[in-house]
Amino acid sequence: MTGAQIAFFVLAVVAVASALGVILFRNAVYSMLSLILNLLSLAFFFLTLDAMFVATIQVLIYAGAVMILFLFVVTMLSQDTSNTNGPDRLRWQAVAGVGFGVILAGGLIIALLNGSLAHDAHAAGLDTLSNAIAALGGNTQAFGWALFHNFSFPFEITSVLIVVAILGAVVLGRRLTSRN
Amino acid sequence: MGEMPVTAYLIVSALLFTIGTIGVLVRRNPLVMFMSIELMLNAVNLSFMAFAHFLNSVDGWMFVFLVLTVAAAEVVVGLAIIVSIFRTRRSIDVDDLNSLKG
Repeated sequence: MTGAQIAFFVLAVVAVASALGVILFRNAVYSMLSLILNLLSLAFFFLTLDAMFVATIQVLIYAGAVMILFLFVVTMLSQDTSNTNGPDRLRWQAVAGVGFGVILAGGLIIALLNGSLAHDAHAAGLDTLSNAIAALGGNTQAFGWALFHNFSFPFEITSVLIVVAILGAVVLGRRLTSRN
Repeated sequence: MGEMPVTAYLIVSALLFTIGTIGVLVRRNPLVMFMSIELMLNAVNLSFMAFAHFLNSVDGWMFVFLVLTVAAAEVVVGLAIIVSIFRTRRSIDVDDLNSLKG
């Protein structure tokens, strides 16, 4: 077993365990912290896949900024919600949800193992990704080159989306009582 | 180097996606349902990154970047909606939200 394989299995166990923690903890703050662990383990997965820049923005934007916003709201609302939760009126929901989940996981994994997709995924005759990145002068350079050569239109659309999200948050967040 | 095959990454991704789906179906707290949606988005991100690595192309990174941006925008708007629901109803249990009246 090489170091890369050991790293993969450790990361896989941490990722799946923290994902289970998100849906199993009763307290939403613990779920939140478990989700942050999950996002960090995914950032380490990205590092093992030669994507240093994406791993960095995963930690900075996702595990940093977005999750801090999430944690603010969770801590603001969780003390009120944890004691208002009465008995579950739709108890069959949990059984049906887990059943559908097992069916989904089985279907996905069977499709993965049977599909020809995964077998020829290693493109033949090309350099490895790390060589291609090195030819462009580094990880961040490769990212920027691809973003502004092939994906500049989606990038601009993204800026429109962010403006819409900001305006939506402002409209939804203002107090309606201040109007009258 | 003995690195893992792409199928191993895809299986981890499928497991994370399934756990996220179960979380959306089972939990009643909308904040936890939101976290489960984030889990599903990140599972798809992992498979994008695995394909980018094994197809020797950085195009997968772009999709991950765009998914990250969309997820950030979605969190901002979704949390604003949850907070405003909480302000008007003093409860955010999704089973109680069965009327469309404000």
